[in-house]
Amino acid sequence: MSFVLTPKHLEQIEELKGRYPSAHALALPLLWMVQEQEGVITLDAIDCIAPYCDLPSMELYRIATFYTMFHLEPVGTYHIQLCKTLSCALCGKGEILERLQAKLGIKAGETTADGRFTISQVECLGSCGSAPVMQINEEYHENLTPQKIDEILEALE
Amino acid sequence: MSQVTITVDAQDYRVEEGSLLIEVLIQNGIKIPYFCYHEALGADGNCRMCMVEIEGQKRPQIACDTIVKEGMGVRTKGENINGVRQRILELELINHPVDCPVCDQAGECKLQDFYMDYGLYDSHIDMRQKIHGKKHVDLGSNVMLDQERCVLCARCTRFTADVTKTHELGIIGRGDHARVSTMPGRKLENPYAMNVVDLCPVGALTSKDFRFHQRVWFLKSTPSVCHGCAMGCNIFIDHNKAKYKEDTIYRFRPRRNDAVNGHFICDAGRLSYKALQENRQKEFELGGDSCTEQEALEAVKTAILEAQNITILIDANLYNEEIERIIVFASGIGATVLCPSDCYYDESFGDTWLKKPWRAANIEYINRTEIEHRLPEGSVDLLISFNHPSSKTVDSRLKIIFATHQGHKADILLPISLFSESSGSLTNIHGMTQHCEKAVEGEAPDLIRLVDMIEGEL
Amino acid sequence: MRDARIVSRRFDIPQIHTIEVARNHGAYEKLHWAFALSSDEIITMIHESGLRGKGGGGAPAGDKWSLMPLNDSRPSYLVVNCDESEPGTFKDRQIIVKDPHLLIEGIILTCYAINAHHAYIYIRGEYAPFQQILQTAIDEAYRAGYLGASADGSDFALDITIHRGAGAYICGEKSALLESMEGKRGHPRLKPKQKECEWYFGNPTLVNNVETIASVPFIVYDGPMAYRAFGTAKSPGTLLFAISGHVERPGVYEAEFGVSMMEYINRFGGGIKGGKKLKAVIPGGASTAVLTAEEAAGATLDYETLQSMRSALGTGGMIVMDEDTDMVEALKNLLEFYRHESCGQCTPCREGTGWSDIIVHNILEGTASSTDIDRLLQLSRTMNGQTICVFAPAVSMVIDSFISKFRDEFEAKLRKDL
Repeated sequence: MSFVLTPKHLEQIEELKGRYPSAHALALPLLWMVQEQEGVITLDAIDCIAPYCDLPSMELYRIATFYTMFHLEPVGTYHIQLCKTLSCALCGKGEILERLQAKLGIKAGETTADGRFTISQVECLGSCGSAPVMQINEEYHENLTPQKIDEILEALE
Repeated sequence: MSQVTITVDAQDYRVEEGSLLIEVLIQNGIKIPYFCYHEALGADGNCRMCMVEIEGQKRPQIACDTIVKEGMGVRTKGENINGVRQRILELELINHPVDCPVCDQAGECKLQDFYMDYGLYDSHIDMRQKIHGKKHVDLGSNVMLDQERCVLCARCTRFTADVTKTHELGIIGRGDHARVSTMPGRKLENPYAMNVVDLCPVGALTSKDFRFHQRVWFLKSTPSVCHGCAMGCNIFIDHNKAKYKEDTIYRFRPRRNDAVNGHFICDAGRLSYKALQENRQKEFELGGDSCTEQEALEAVKTAILEAQNITILIDANLYNEEIERIIVFASGIGATVLCPSDCYYDESFGDTWLKKPWRAANIEYINRTEIEHRLPEGSVDLLISFNHPSSKTVDSRLKIIFATHQGHKADILLPISLFSESSGSLTNIHGMTQHCEKAVEGEAPDLIRLVDMIEGEL
Repeated sequence: MRDARIVSRRFDIPQIHTIEVARNHGAYEKLHWAFALSSDEIITMIHESGLRGKGGGGAPAGDKWSLMPLNDSRPSYLVVNCDESEPGTFKDRQIIVKDPHLLIEGIILTCYAINAHHAYIYIRGEYAPFQQILQTAIDEAYRAGYLGASADGSDFALDITIHRGAGAYICGEKSALLESMEGKRGHPRLKPKQKECEWYFGNPTLVNNVETIASVPFIVYDGPMAYRAFGTAKSPGTLLFAISGHVERPGVYEAEFGVSMMEYINRFGGGIKGGKKLKAVIPGGASTAVLTAEEAAGATLDYETLQSMRSALGTGGMIVMDEDTDMVEALKNLLEFYRHESCGQCTPCREGTGWSDIIVHNILEGTASSTDIDRLLQLSRTMNGQTICVFAPAVSMVIDSFISKFRDEFEAKLRKDL
């Protein structure tokens, strides 16, 4: 087993254990720690964290495949998550996607060859009042226009 | 426990208060379709097939999530409820490949059965738009998975999670992309794994050992008891005699007995049918050469009459009736009966559930007789072994062996039938005596008949 | 339309998310006073106020609170539902970003009333930046002594823990949320046969939406009658209605129940974008039946009126569509959402959401047959009332409303003349 939790995370786990009636509750927090550390959830890491939440690895694997924010495959350094649900679709999400794809030379669901960018289309981000909207990693970018996409991407390059 | 009266399809039933409606329906032989419910695994409520109408309820309810109450009125039949079942069944089939001709489950498939009961509609989906899953995935432990045929009832995953607690199988993904899987690169690996094949109501999980060997509608099922160890798990022997071929066993399946094995058996027991049919002793032999039955019996008689002392070894897999017959026979000829039992004990085979370290079906019956569990001391003049595995370790002037299988060295060798070829009873490790029916017509003679004949000659 | 701001009344105050500014504007000021009340007195206030759950269901909050056992040997919990994922809904995030101390104070009062000593806030994973702000506020409240071993110097101990989701709409359903918090996949539970509280690891638990809890301080401090002064008799009080889609000023604006939908759209939303004509409004998050412009003109924003129109108030998140909107495309968009978000546990939903998406796909592609529209309606009936949770029935309501009200658009696609 090559995955190990950082001392910071081990400390957090101890603190969290006191906050829940059962260690099982730590499943999601632990998977988040793994993803924070590795960027991706590996089987190796699942085996490592399983004892901390007293769950079999399979249960954690099932959880990891259920929640869409967990990555079982690596994503780019900048994970662009463009909302595709109704309010964003009504407010011009289509042209935002076109611009993203043209600028990065990849389609939605793909990662650039240098591993820097992944474009994903995601369901409602809870930001319908500032549509169209996307997240780059955890940061929200709202009221998007094609021009704004150019600026955002340029700032990252 | 107090009783309540419920009405199902206008007929009254007295049932135990607080029981699940689906259990009541099943126990009373009332037809109810279901995939996810299983008497050993309980209710899960996911398949939605067991819909019934309950008086006073606006919508149909699932019987597996309904507790019976005094005066409850239930309808399991009628146009309305059949329509509901038909539409849910259509959804079960929407992403199913409908490959029944090449599916090994055909003939014992709940999708097929329910389609005949509630379906019979035209297909409404373009095959090309079905969701595709992995096919013929070798999960390990002789279990093959076809994700496209799966109805996601979760019986198999609940078995590995709740019964064996080995957690190899799980439903991963979500929505209509949810599927049964192991973790990538990992195997289904536990001594009871093949039970998931029986649990699977459709052709998603099939046995690598059984698939494509026999269509199930040709099989006859005979109730019997597994001889793999002293537990005495109840089984069905599924066999078929095709034209011009021997009556052949194709599989053992668990037979429900809540006092012994519940719904399950171990894989070792399940697969023990194979060795059973291989290398059978078919010939009577004298000094290594085949002879007739009459010649063999003559030789046995002479050997017994001439012997100074006789020791009998008795296999702890024989039926109670066979053991009793041999004891009577032994006292008639003044023989000592022994059952050396070290060879049956395998600590590594045992577990805390169904697998017992005593790998002899009737060791407990031997325990209840005067028969000692030891090898004979010193040299024996005449040894008569009734299929005992330790015959060759005994030093004797003359050996007579009654054998089911080849591999014995004896002066006189007599073939005898297998447990599947005769009927009788066994007493399991917990002292429960159970009956086995004769399943297969064998060629080898019945042991009791041979003993009768020998005794008659003396 | 009169000003009706209860939950959002401090939203415009600069830096109100900090405890210092919040306290300057009355936060935590009356906690002392509330701790002198009994549990029953507070629960009675909630009953009398007529407060209804603001997460979409609209169930009377007082009834839910009353299901909590007050003298149980097991610990009780409050779980605050901040899994805001219903398309068109983005109100709870306003509370946790703009006035997190209001929520915290609501949590303290609620926990005190139901005798819970630990509250969890289940927040959708995507809301990480807003979670940060909320966590900072919670940390401040601990330091100021409003949380911890003795809340505000009383003998009432309370902890708050934020629990982060990870991308699953269905976890907004309260039993799926609890499953998720128990370290499982978010599968809704089979419903109990009798009215009872929720259970978290077998312990009695109350689940309420963020805005519901944020409404509690006003009701306790200003009294139930002050809350009832707003809204209608059956839908008392206010809601953080939201508006998005084809309007000039999308956003979240609190209003009292019972106001006219069009007045709301015009006054707060600034009317239809670009001066176009209105075609349709989804009134309360994607999972409510769409209304035509004509229906919208007669609609008021309260539970009863929208229910009588065979739709629902839901979360109050309106999605406005102008005359150029392709209603078949709009339905397709929603069906993709539902197909993606179905937990896959039970058959009618798992297979029905996928199949309905395929049928509408075929209609758009021009490969559907003339009977497919009716097939879709029949499929929609199968999805209604035969599942573990209300996800599939909601999809059913959406499909039915789109087809019954805009059938000509679906038929035109079939004829390929559009």
